[in-house]
Amino acid sequence: MSVSPELLLTVARELSGLSLDPAHLEPVVPQLSAQLAGLAALDELDLETVEPAIVLRTDLEGQP
Amino acid sequence: VSTAELTRLSIAEAAERLRRRALSPVELTEAYLARIQADDPDVRAFITVLADAARADAKTAEAEMSRGQYRGPLHGIPVGLKDIIQTRGVRTTCGSRILATWVPDTDATVASRLARAGAILLGKLNCHEFAYGPTGVNAHHGTPRNPWGADRMPGGSSSGSGVAVAAGLCAGALGTDTGGSVRIPASLCGIVGLKTTYGRVSRAGVVPLAWSLDTIGPMTRTVADAGLMLGAIAGPDPADPGSAGVGVPDYTADLGAGIRGLRIGLARSVFFEHLQADVRVAVEAAARALEGLGAALQECALPRMRHAGAALFAIISAEAMAYHEPLLAKHAAAYGPDVRSRLLAGQFVLATQYLKAQRARRVIAAEVDQALTAVDALLLPTTPVPAPRCGDHEVTLDGVTQDVRAWLTRCTRPFNLTGHPVLSLPCGLTREGLPVGLSLVGRRFDEATLLRIGQAYERVSPLRGQVPPLA
Repeated sequence: MSVSPELLLTVARELSGLSLDPAHLEPVVPQLSAQLAGLAALDELDLETVEPAIVLRTDLEGQP
Repeated sequence: VSTAELTRLSIAEAAERLRRRALSPVELTEAYLARIQADDPDVRAFITVLADAARADAKTAEAEMSRGQYRGPLHGIPVGLKDIIQTRGVRTTCGSRILATWVPDTDATVASRLARAGAILLGKLNCHEFAYGPTGVNAHHGTPRNPWGADRMPGGSSSGSGVAVAAGLCAGALGTDTGGSVRIPASLCGIVGLKTTYGRVSRAGVVPLAWSLDTIGPMTRTVADAGLMLGAIAGPDPADPGSAGVGVPDYTADLGAGIRGLRIGLARSVFFEHLQADVRVAVEAAARALEGLGAALQECALPRMRHAGAALFAIISAEAMAYHEPLLAKHAAAYGPDVRSRLLAGQFVLATQYLKAQRARRVIAAEVDQALTAVDALLLPTTPVPAPRCGDHEVTLDGVTQDVRAWLTRCTRPFNLTGHPVLSLPCGLTREGLPVGLSLVGRRFDEATLLRIGQAYERVSPLRGQVPPLA
C-alpha cells in the first residue's frame, strides 16, 4: 500500500476540512504504513458474527 | 525523625503514626515540601507545586485530628496528581505548551474524592504531553529524572507520578493509563502501579486521551498503599458515562490472606518472547517465588492476543484525534513532534478500520475472560526492557529492532483493549541496577485479588526496602 504525505494532505483537506503543514505529515507516513498491515491482519480473526465493543448496553431502566 | 525517614514511610506507616498522633500532618507535609524544594529543580517531577495550599490543608487536617475527626488512612497524607487531572483554581497543563495557563473551574471526581479522604495535594505532576506517549520525555516541561539512572527514561505517560513516588517527593500519586501509562513508569521507576478495571474509577474531569480506553489508578511505594488509594477513589460516578455501578470492597481486608491455592497463568507464547535477558530472569524468579508461596502455576494460551496492538492502534488513534482535532486545527505547531504525528495518524484511520478494531476487541477480551476462568491471575513482565536511555528511539531485542514506544507498550496495551485490571510491582534489578516490573492481570473488578497476590510477593521481593540511588 502506498501512502504519501501529499495523499494525506489531500485527504485531510478535502474530507475533513483540516489544513495541515505538509512537514507535519511526513512522520505520519511510516507510522501509518507500519500499522496498516496489522489492521489488515485483524481479518484473520473470525469476526463475521461479532458486534463492535462500542454497542450500547441498556441498563435496568431501559436507557442507553 | 529526619526528613529522609519521613519521606520514605509508606502511606500505611504514615497513616498509623498520624492516627496515633505520633506524627503531625504538618510535619509530614513540611518534610515532603522540603524534599521538593531541594530536589525537584533537578528531578522535574512537578509542573506546579502547591506549597501554600498544602500547608493550609495540613493545618486543617491537624485541627480535625486534634478534635478526633479522623477521616481514614489518607487523612494528612501528601499526594500528587498527574497534570491531566483537573483541579479547581490550579492550572492543569496536560504536560503541554498549549494548555500551559489553563485553570479549570472544577475538580475531577478523583481529586475531590482524595480531598474528601483528607489527602494533602502537594502539586501537579509532569507527564508525557497530553498523556500520549510511553517514554515520559517532555520537551515543554522537561523530562522527569528516573531516580535509578539520570540518563534513563522515566516511562510515561505518568512520568512525574512515577518519579515523584520513587524519589520520595510524595507519598502516593494518581496516574492515568490508556496503553500502559501507569504501569510503564511504575516498572521503569521501581514502584507499584495499578491499572484499574475500565469503569472502576471515574474519569470525570480528567482530560481524555481515548474515551473507551482511559483509566485512572494509584502509583505508590507499596501494594497496600495502592489498595488504600484505590479505596478512596473507586466507585460509581454519574458524571462519568463509563463508570460502572459496582460496589467498592475494602481493598485491605484480604491483603494478608496469602496465596495458597491460587492459580496463576503464564502466557509464555505471547508475553515471554523477546525479553531482555535480565527481565526474563527476574520475572521467572518471581513466578517461582509465587509458587513457593503456595500458588499453582499453569500455562495459558492466548492466540488472539497478538492482534491486540493493531486493534489498540486504530482505537486510540481515532479517539485521540477526534478529541484533539479542534486544538490541532489551531495549534498544530505548538504540539511536540512525536505527539503531533501520532495524533495526525488518527486522522487517517477509516471508520471501518475503527469498527473492525472494536469487533476484534470483543473477541480478544473474551479470550482473556475465558483464560481467567481457569486461573485467578495472569503473570507477565510489565515491560520487556528496563528503562531505555532518554535518547533511544529504537531498541533491539533478540535481533528484532522496533520503535522504543512499541517495546514499552507491548505487554501493557492489550489490557486497555480488554479492560482488565493489572497490578505492576517491582520484582528485581538488572545487572545495570535498573528495576524490572512484574504484572498481574485479574478478572474485571477483582483488583482485590491482585493486591493480595502482590502483597504476598512484596514480602519476598528482592527489591523490598531498596531506595533508588538518586532518591
